[in-house]
Amino acid sequence: MRRFSLSIMRRLSVDTPSTALKQLPTVIAFVIAVLLAFLLPDMITRPIAVFRGSVVMVVATALSLFFAGRGRVTAWALLVPGLDLFAIALLRTGTGGTTSLFSALIILPVLWVAAEKGRRWVVVTAVGTSLALMVPYVVDWRWPADIAEWLRGVFSPFVFGVAAAIINELSRQARQQLVSIQRLARDREVRLKETLSLADQLKENEQRLNAADRFTRSVLDAVTEQSVIGTDLTGLIDVWNPGAAVMLGLPATETQGKRHIYDFHLDEELENRSRELNYPPGATVLNPGFSALVESARLGRAEVRDWTYVRTDGSSVSVAVAVTPRVDEDDATVGYIFVATDVTQALEVARLKDEFVGLISHELRTPLSSILGYLELLRDDDESPLSEEQLQYLNVAERNAHRLLRLVGDLLFTAQVTSGKFPLDISQVVLNEVVAAAVQSAGPVGSAAGVELILHLPEDSIVVRADAVRLGQACDNLISNAIKFTPRDGTVTVSLGSTDTDAVITVLDTGMGIAASELDQLYARFFRASTATRNAVPGVGLGLTITKAIVIAHDGELDVDSEEGVGTAFSMSIPLPRRS
Amino acid sequence: MSAGAVRVVIADDDADIRALVSIAVGKAGLDLVAAVADGDQAWLALQEHHPDLAVLDVSMPGMTGLELCRLIRADAALAGLHIVLLSAAVDDQARAAGFEAGADEFFLKPFSPREFAAWLSDFMVPEK
Repeated sequence: MRRFSLSIMRRLSVDTPSTALKQLPTVIAFVIAVLLAFLLPDMITRPIAVFRGSVVMVVATALSLFFAGRGRVTAWALLVPGLDLFAIALLRTGTGGTTSLFSALIILPVLWVAAEKGRRWVVVTAVGTSLALMVPYVVDWRWPADIAEWLRGVFSPFVFGVAAAIINELSRQARQQLVSIQRLARDREVRLKETLSLADQLKENEQRLNAADRFTRSVLDAVTEQSVIGTDLTGLIDVWNPGAAVMLGLPATETQGKRHIYDFHLDEELENRSRELNYPPGATVLNPGFSALVESARLGRAEVRDWTYVRTDGSSVSVAVAVTPRVDEDDATVGYIFVATDVTQALEVARLKDEFVGLISHELRTPLSSILGYLELLRDDDESPLSEEQLQYLNVAERNAHRLLRLVGDLLFTAQVTSGKFPLDISQVVLNEVVAAAVQSAGPVGSAAGVELILHLPEDSIVVRADAVRLGQACDNLISNAIKFTPRDGTVTVSLGSTDTDAVITVLDTGMGIAASELDQLYARFFRASTATRNAVPGVGLGLTITKAIVIAHDGELDVDSEEGVGTAFSMSIPLPRRS
Repeated sequence: MSAGAVRVVIADDDADIRALVSIAVGKAGLDLVAAVADGDQAWLALQEHHPDLAVLDVSMPGMTGLELCRLIRADAALAGLHIVLLSAAVDDQARAAGFEAGADEFFLKPFSPREFAAWLSDFMVPEK
């Protein structure tokens, strides 16, 4: 393509004919003229001038061949027509001088020079012709004899000058045309190239799009354990993956564009949820159930909620559905995606676990009830009172039975927390009382361990909405932990205070502390700090799990600050009721 | 035992607990007329003896304490029978369910025999 256009350009170029080619007409005309001069009688008036002219012409022609061989044409090439002019002037001198038959030959080199680029060549041509025409006078060494001879020296160059100007202009125009033709050709070539690369790009994009489409489709098809359903803004189904077909028993051909997502929901659940959300406006005012279904997604929140899908045969399946919005390139919501996981089995497992924990708890508590009951009977036996020593043994047995009982209670409670069944009995609670009671009940344990208990209470009562029993349990846990982990002669300081938003209960000890690397595992079930195991502090690692769960259930926060060997501070923040 | 004493039926599937409750009942000076191991036997004992007080375990083979409770409250012939439920449960929901089924009092296991006996004596005083 490129080579083709170059050859066109070369052929069209005014400047490209080689100097040899340009010289050719002049040489031919000159040779004919010289031949004529020799053949016709009385033509040659000065043979020496004709000879010199011929020599100059040979030199000029040789020079033209030299420049043609050089390839690149320079301004120096114009020496050739200059010499031509000189050769013709000598020929003219030798064949009759001013009256020579061959004056017209001058036009040939004039054509050459005049066609050069630039107006100055018009002047050069005029001057050159004028000089050439004057050569006979120079050779004869005389002035022009009369007005006619003067005019011949001036008028002819004028005519040649005019001709040169016309030729110069014409060739300028031709050159411009050539330039614009060349530019057009180049432009076209560039366009063509652009078009070709655009076509390549389009093809590539199409392939990429196809690949992305195939990928999405294969992912959707690969998800067989979950149903993936896509709808538009009104809930009309347009995506229905094999997982949905398996879960709901209908192929895509019977749902896409034909059914709505809410056709597969339990009406009752949708109505309840809609009522809960106070009838959200949503995109479909006419269908509050669907609006309730997508409310969170519409507001840009990810939500996973338990629903019941109903198959066309009336059977149902418990699912956890994640609803997310589908957006177009402008981020406007154009529909929703519903990814549902069958949780029937998970629910069954959770139920079995609850049942198991309940059973174990019952089975453990019943023998413990007997142990504690009969131990009490022994202690209360008035007829044969126990000796001091026997009473001590009894105390140990009772203490350990209580410890077991607490452990069973903690286990059961932990199970309730993890299964999300964690009822709170909320009422107005005066925290001063709760904290004071916890410190008081820890008193005997504290004094037995040789740990001083210090209580700081504010003068004003701090009242929160909370479960008094659970908060008490949380305080008990923190205080008994602090005592357990504090060596003899240490102190445990319990203080109650408040910020603008929260009531804060802090339990500070001078104990062995917790390693910084263990702080983040502190609330994991059955986690025990290395300091606890190293120092043989009893416990199974449920207390903080339970405390944390209680605090979280109250929308509060549990913070810890500890330094190994210095002590630990736990802070429970419980939100204060907002003043309205 | 005097004829005017408060008559008690006990039902618990655990023999040791049953014995423990019996001892508490004895300490409180009440008249134990039957101690059985499941809900169905308890129902029969109640029909037979028409006691003043029934101490029932919540979870028993056969009828549970709660079912028994509802059955008693639905039976006009057993009107005026006081019911005490015993449970190894830990949450307040169990307690609420017990009262809803018609129980007069609810004791969580483990319970102190001393306190239980004291409560029985106090509870029955106005009856005398």
